[in-house]
Amino acid sequence: MKQNNLAVKLVNISKIYQLHHEKPTLVENIFRKNSREKFVALNNVNLEIKKGEKVGIIGPNGSGKTTLLKIISGIATPNQGKVQTWGKLVSLIDLSAGFHPELTGIENVYQNAMLLGMNRMETKNKLREIADFADIGGFFDAPMYTYSDGMKLRLGFSIAIAAEPDVLILDEGVAVGDENFQKKSSDKIEEFFKQRKTIIVVSHWLEYMRRNCKRIIWMDEGKILKDGDLNLTKEYEDEFSK
Amino acid sequence: MIGLSTDQQKWWELLLAMTEKEIKARYKMAVFGFLWIFLNPLLQMLVLGFIFQFFIPIKTANYFEFLFPGLLAWNFFSYTVTKNTPMYINERALIQKAKFPRETIVLSVVLSNLFHFLMALVVFVLFEWLINSKIHWWRWCLLPGIAFWLAILTSGLSLLFSSLNVKWRDVNFGVQAMMPLWFYATPVIYSLDLLPSWLAKWIHLNPLAAIIGILRWAIMGTEVPWFSLLISGISTIIIFEIGVMVFRKESPFFDDWV
Repeated sequence: MKQNNLAVKLVNISKIYQLHHEKPTLVENIFRKNSREKFVALNNVNLEIKKGEKVGIIGPNGSGKTTLLKIISGIATPNQGKVQTWGKLVSLIDLSAGFHPELTGIENVYQNAMLLGMNRMETKNKLREIADFADIGGFFDAPMYTYSDGMKLRLGFSIAIAAEPDVLILDEGVAVGDENFQKKSSDKIEEFFKQRKTIIVVSHWLEYMRRNCKRIIWMDEGKILKDGDLNLTKEYEDEFSK
Repeated sequence: MIGLSTDQQKWWELLLAMTEKEIKARYKMAVFGFLWIFLNPLLQMLVLGFIFQFFIPIKTANYFEFLFPGLLAWNFFSYTVTKNTPMYINERALIQKAKFPRETIVLSVVLSNLFHFLMALVVFVLFEWLINSKIHWWRWCLLPGIAFWLAILTSGLSLLFSSLNVKWRDVNFGVQAMMPLWFYATPVIYSLDLLPSWLAKWIHLNPLAAIIGILRWAIMGTEVPWFSLLISGISTIIIFEIGVMVFRKESPFFDDWV
């Protein structure tokens, strides 16, 4: 089985969004059926990422980086092509999304962890670990609206790493919380980097990629422009400092 | 859970966890808490009962008692469908966060409201047991089946409207406008024998009419026209199938539109 060393495989992926300048309404859809504008976010992308690879994705705004991640994580569905992933995939983007303000930290942990693909038993066993890592003390059984933004992010981060992902998706928002927690979270990510985890980073923070990634994918206008090693970051900088 | 694959088990666990969240979140910070499950329809019953007994008298025996089960079923149906229609827009944060079975969002609302419906129904059935001599014990055994039937109809419409509303936000306005009309087209505050027969015939096309009819039949022993059950049964299955079909077609692309 050759596939066994792959984490992600994309074949001929295209993603087309319909641009709507105003809210679509039934009437507009009936009378202006053929006048919709299309935006090609990904154009026939082929990509293989091996298990344990550390990949950085670079490219200007609107080049398709985010769409690519959404396709890999299964949040969006391509209009064309085939997506295959192996192992549990967790995204560290939008950490505090999906928390319910009225529910307590514990109740939110259950809900959020299960959305990330953990089951009830796993969540229960990890509850202590999550609380300790997030370091939110007595707030754990208080309703979420009493939390500060930093606390929400910390809790979100702790849940995501407790899910023990095989494939981890990061963006520059990885530095969360106060000084102390930033250190703790980057240590944790560092640990993932050292283990045989697959990591995909989307960032404009080239310095971070140089330290952590081995392979760089350069996106432009919905296509993979270049796929190579860290030298690409230098080239990319030169291109945009011209 | 025995006999389920790990995927199915995970699906159920997720659905139940989300249902639990729905139930807990609703009564947080409410002093009367779960008492509202029963207080709400009770107050509604009193208001409607006063109006239709003393202002515009409807000639139905034990009118307050007659109102209650219909109100419970109607409330379950209308709250659920109204809440679910804009659900994928309201929960866009969840949709953009992770890949998980999207139907659980809508079905958890159905299940949590079903829980409320059943709780209130049990209390009402106990009340009937005390005051009504015309009850048939064996009919009570059919209540879970009737609740299931109502839940299937509600799930079908929830899936249909919520999926369509992602692309066409008009659906939400349409549902809001339709619900009061649907209320009057459902024999909640009146019984069918009060209507002229040409009108009653049309009401039989409303799948809710027969469900509420058989609910009253099971609890209080009132009559129900059997052919209307058949129409309602078939339309429930068709509505559910359409709901599932549209959901399957639209749900992979929810993220594009929210």
